[in-house]
Amino acid sequence: MNKALRNPMTYILFVIPGMLLLFMFFVYPLISSLYYGFTNWNGISDHVKLVGFRNFSKALSDPAFWSSVKNNGYFILFSVFIQVPITIVASLMIANVKKLQGLYKTAIFMPTVMSTAVIGILWGFIYNYDVGLLNKIIVFFGGQPVDWLGSPKTAMLSILITNCWQWAGFYIVMILAAILTIPKELDEAAMIDGATGLQRVRRITMPLIMPVISVVIMLSIAGSMKAADIIIVMTKGGPASSTDVMATYMIKYAITNFKYGYGNALSFIIFIFTMVVTVLYQVLIAKRAERIDY
Amino acid sequence: MNALKKSGNHIFLMAYLLIILFPFLFVVFSSLKLNNAEIALSPFGLPKEFHWGNYVDAWVNAKINVYFFNSLYISVVSSCLTIIISSMIGFALTRMKYNKISAILYSVVLLGMLIPNTSLMLPIYLLLQKIGVLNTHLALIIPYVANAIPLSTIIIAAFMRSLPAEIEEASVIDGLTAKGIFARIALPLVGPALVTVFIMSFLGNWNEFLLANYFLSDDNLRTLPVGMVQFRDAKLSNYAQMSAGIVFCVVPVMLIYSVLQKQIIEGVTAGSVKG
Repeated sequence: MNKALRNPMTYILFVIPGMLLLFMFFVYPLISSLYYGFTNWNGISDHVKLVGFRNFSKALSDPAFWSSVKNNGYFILFSVFIQVPITIVASLMIANVKKLQGLYKTAIFMPTVMSTAVIGILWGFIYNYDVGLLNKIIVFFGGQPVDWLGSPKTAMLSILITNCWQWAGFYIVMILAAILTIPKELDEAAMIDGATGLQRVRRITMPLIMPVISVVIMLSIAGSMKAADIIIVMTKGGPASSTDVMATYMIKYAITNFKYGYGNALSFIIFIFTMVVTVLYQVLIAKRAERIDY
Repeated sequence: MNALKKSGNHIFLMAYLLIILFPFLFVVFSSLKLNNAEIALSPFGLPKEFHWGNYVDAWVNAKINVYFFNSLYISVVSSCLTIIISSMIGFALTRMKYNKISAILYSVVLLGMLIPNTSLMLPIYLLLQKIGVLNTHLALIIPYVANAIPLSTIIIAAFMRSLPAEIEEASVIDGLTAKGIFARIALPLVGPALVTVFIMSFLGNWNEFLLANYFLSDDNLRTLPVGMVQFRDAKLSNYAQMSAGIVFCVVPVMLIYSVLQKQIIEGVTAGSVKG
C-alpha cells in the first residue's frame, strides 16, 4: 500500500507543473518587482541603474499617489459600512421568508457572475448625462440632471455604488448560507422563552454568523485593495485623477509613461499596504470573532 | 403581526430585486430601439419597433463574434488545464506518502491565495515577454491557470482528503500504481469538485479584463470584455448598438448561471469560507 503511493517520480511529476506556475507567477514577480523598484529602468532600454530608495520615497511623497490611496480607503469604508450592513439585512430577510426564497437568492447573485468590464459599461450607460436612466428618473421627479461620471464630486461615489451593486449578492449568498445552517431549535427555544424577532436576531443569529461576517469584511477589504478594472472601464481614473486607485495609478505610470522602475516600486508598495491592512484586520478584529460550535 | 412583518420583508426584497434587474431590462429594451433619440425619449418604455439589426451590427461589424470565440477558447483551455494541474497537486499532497514535503508545498499554495497578483502585473508582463508568448493567447492562458491554481487546489485537496483509505488499499491489491489510483479512482470520485472548480475558473476567465486588456495588442486576439470596452469607446454615440453588444456578453453567462447556479453558489461559499 505504502509502496504504490510512495513513488518519487510520480510525486515529482504531479507536483512540478503547478509549483512551477506558482513560482513563475507569484514568487518570481514579487522578487522581480522588488528588484526593479530600486532601479530607474524605463522598461525597454538595456540601461538599468540602481537608484536605492528613490522610487519609494518619491511615491510616498507624491500627493497624487496619496490621493489614490485615499480612494482605496473610500472603497474600504463604503464596503464595510454601507455594503456589509445592507447585505446582512438582506440576508436576514431572505432567511426569514419561505415563499420566493429561491428566486431572491438566485437573482441577487446574478450581477456577481457578470464581467466587471461589462457591468462598468452598463452602468456607464445608466449614469450617462443625456440618455442615461438615472438622470431620466431624476428629471421625471423634477430634479436637475447630474454629470455622474464626469464630475469629480460624484464620479467616485458612482463607481462605489456600481461596485456595491455587483458584489452585494456574493456576500449575501455567503451570509445566507451561514444563517441557514443555524439549527432551528435554537431559535424556537428563544421564541418559547418569549424573545421578540429583533432580540433573537441580536442575541442568537448575529453572534452565530459573526465568523462569516468577519470573512465577508476581510474579502471586501481585499477586493477594495484590488479594485482596478471597474475604474479603468468607467472613468479611466478621471475626471482629473479623482477616481484613481493605487492599482490604476501604477498602471498609468508603468505602461503609459514608461516608468517601469517607478511602477514596480508602486506595485511593491501596494503589496505591502494590502498585507498590512489584511494583517491588521486579522489581528485587531477577526481574532475577536471566534469560531462558534453548536 | 407576523404576516405584516413577512410582507414587509417581501417589499424590501422586491425593491432590491428591482434594483438588480432593472439595469438589465433597460439594456435589453435599449438594444432594440432605433437610435439614441428613442432611448432618450422613452427610457422606460418598450421599443416602438424591434430593431434586431442592432444585434447583427454588433455581432459582425463590431467583431463581437471574433471576441466571443476568443473568450470561449481561452476560458475552456485554461479551465481544463487548471483542473488537470490542480487535481494532480491535490492528489500528490493529500494521498501520496510524503507528508513533510506535502505540508510545505501546501503552504506555498496557500501563499498564492494571499498575494494580490493584480499588483504583480508589471513583472508578469515582462516575464511573458521574455518567454515570447506576449500577444498570443498563451499570454492569457498561462497566467489564468496560475491564478486559478491556489483556490482550485485547496477545493480539490479538501475533497481528496475525505476519500476513504480502504478504496486505495483495495486498488493497490488489485495492482494499480499511484498514477492508476489517481486517474481511475481518485479523479472520478471527486468529480463534483472538479465540476465546481471548472465552472468557477471558467467564469473567472470569461470575465477577466485587466490582463486581457494589457497583455494582448492584436485586435483579432482580444477577448469579449476588452472588445466590448473598445467597441464602447469607438461607438460612443450609438447606445442601441452598444446595448446589443452588452446583451451578447451577458446572455451566455446568464445561461450558464441559470443552469448551474447551485454548483456556482456552493463553489463560491465553499471556496471563500475556506480561503
